[in-house]
Amino acid sequence: MTSDDLLRIVIVDDEPLARTVVREYAAAEAGVDIVAECANGFEAVKAVTELKPDLVLLDVQMPKLDGFEVLELIGGDVPVVFITAYDQYALRAFEVHAIDYLLKPFSAERFQQAIARARERRRATLPVDEIVREARPRTGPVERVLIRDGTQVHVLPVDKIDYVEAQDDYVAFKSEGKQYLKDQALGAVEAALDASRFVRIHRSYILNIDRIARVELYAKDSRVAILRDGTKLPVSRAGYARLSELL
Amino acid sequence: MHPILGHPRRLAVYVALWLPLGGVLAALLALEGALPWPRAIVVAVPLAVLFGFLSLSAWYVARGLPIGSTGLARVLVTAAFAAMISTAIWLLFSRGWMEAIAAPASRNVTLPFREIAPTLFGFGTLLYLLAIAASYVLAAFQTSRDVERRGLELQVLAREAELRALRAQIDPHFLFNSLQSISALTTADPAAARRMCLLLADFLRETLAVGARDRIPLSSELALAQRFLAVEHVRFGDRLNVMVNADGAEACGVPPLMLQPLVENAVTHGVAHVIEGGTIAISARRHGSLLSIAIENPCDPDRPPGRGAGVGLANVRERLRALFGSEASLHAEETDGRYRVQIEVPVEDGSGISDPRPTVIGPRTTP
Repeated sequence: MTSDDLLRIVIVDDEPLARTVVREYAAAEAGVDIVAECANGFEAVKAVTELKPDLVLLDVQMPKLDGFEVLELIGGDVPVVFITAYDQYALRAFEVHAIDYLLKPFSAERFQQAIARARERRRATLPVDEIVREARPRTGPVERVLIRDGTQVHVLPVDKIDYVEAQDDYVAFKSEGKQYLKDQALGAVEAALDASRFVRIHRSYILNIDRIARVELYAKDSRVAILRDGTKLPVSRAGYARLSELL
Repeated sequence: MHPILGHPRRLAVYVALWLPLGGVLAALLALEGALPWPRAIVVAVPLAVLFGFLSLSAWYVARGLPIGSTGLARVLVTAAFAAMISTAIWLLFSRGWMEAIAAPASRNVTLPFREIAPTLFGFGTLLYLLAIAASYVLAAFQTSRDVERRGLELQVLAREAELRALRAQIDPHFLFNSLQSISALTTADPAAARRMCLLLADFLRETLAVGARDRIPLSSELALAQRFLAVEHVRFGDRLNVMVNADGAEACGVPPLMLQPLVENAVTHGVAHVIEGGTIAISARRHGSLLSIAIENPCDPDRPPGRGAGVGLANVRERLRALFGSEASLHAEETDGRYRVQIEVPVEDGSGISDPRPTVIGPRTTP
């Protein structure tokens, strides 16, 4: 057997018994190597970042970070098989994007199928944003932003965000003098945040309106927002219109 | 629908009631000296029965002028008017009747009729007014019976809603996860797998059994919660601990499965979101005529607002309101990573509540 045939998997489930089943099924399968077992999402993000496995078996319901948040953080490049007991929204998202999933309790045959399918499409990339949006129809704006920093996960409550800045392919969340980079489009951030507290003041900036000290005219048709901590941000004409509407 | 006309038996009784009234009228006529006794009876009794039929129209007068929504003056004037018209019609019939029964020799009845007309008029008007009054009483009686019947219907509806809620409360997550645990234990620990099957069967059986009853002792409700938590303990392992303290309130009657949604929440939206887990504490205490039950569990203050959170709580609140009205209350609060729900319900002593199986409440569940 060549190393190409060896499937390195990570098991993520907060329930010890659920991991037991996967371990047992995986042991019976030739060419499958369990490289890590994780009991929560933070461990999962760390393990996936460090070990770059070929497949992640990911439970949906977990404390702190659920399966979809883990997916959001590890990105769509790692093949994932979701495991869930019962979740109609998640199932719909899986069906739509042809993502393999296992319903608890599942048989050894079903597990083998999932492994075989994962071997076939190791290179497939998942549309993470779409999946996350469909799997968890949000009733309102996000309350926290998840940011991966190497093997670490930062959970940033939205009221701690001062402003968000677009930087090339990333967005930078500025909070309490620190900056957190996330691989996301500014438009997606704008859509996720509460529109009554965050306003797009410029093509490259979203501002927490609680942080504004004043807005000054800088030149004809161009203004700057001055934050409480003295930071100056450019305000476009459309941005000023949106801002005035909110204030 | 007329309450008398539409029912032949009631109509017969009604007509029979008018025969003695005919006797009274005959007596009035005879004592007045207008007619001799035998003749007075022949004249009065059939006329009284006829007037009985005319008086049936009083029901429509009463129905057309409901007392609550019509001015009293209007009611009185209309009633007097109706009484006089009915009596006038009756007088015409009376004259005809006297003509019909008069001896062929003395065809002229004008004189005797004139003599008895005032008596007939007084008698008719008075009785017609009485008939209107009786109609009002009857209408009120019917209304109150309708209200009562509607109340009963509502009770039945509420009961159905309650049972529907009970059925909906068995969480599919719980069942599938339990089956997953059994599946895992089958090879890892067959004896534990069997214990888990038995725990689950006990819980389901008990849930079905108590669902059909109105009240069960608190001890049974707590035992059921402990069975549920014992099943969940297999799944969560050391992350889930349980403490139950009924503090002498075991015999108080409670609606079956009242605590179940709250205990499920304590697991699903509480302990399950905390990485290190924690203890679910259920405590009950009786304060005079109130039974107070508190369920406390650790929770993650940053947990995402999950779907379905709050549904269980709303169901319990709804049920308490339907069963006890304002006498029951439910308070939920979250402080420093602990979630606490407190229920207060009026005490219903367990004396009338039979519990076929004695239940033992321990301070701690160790499955």
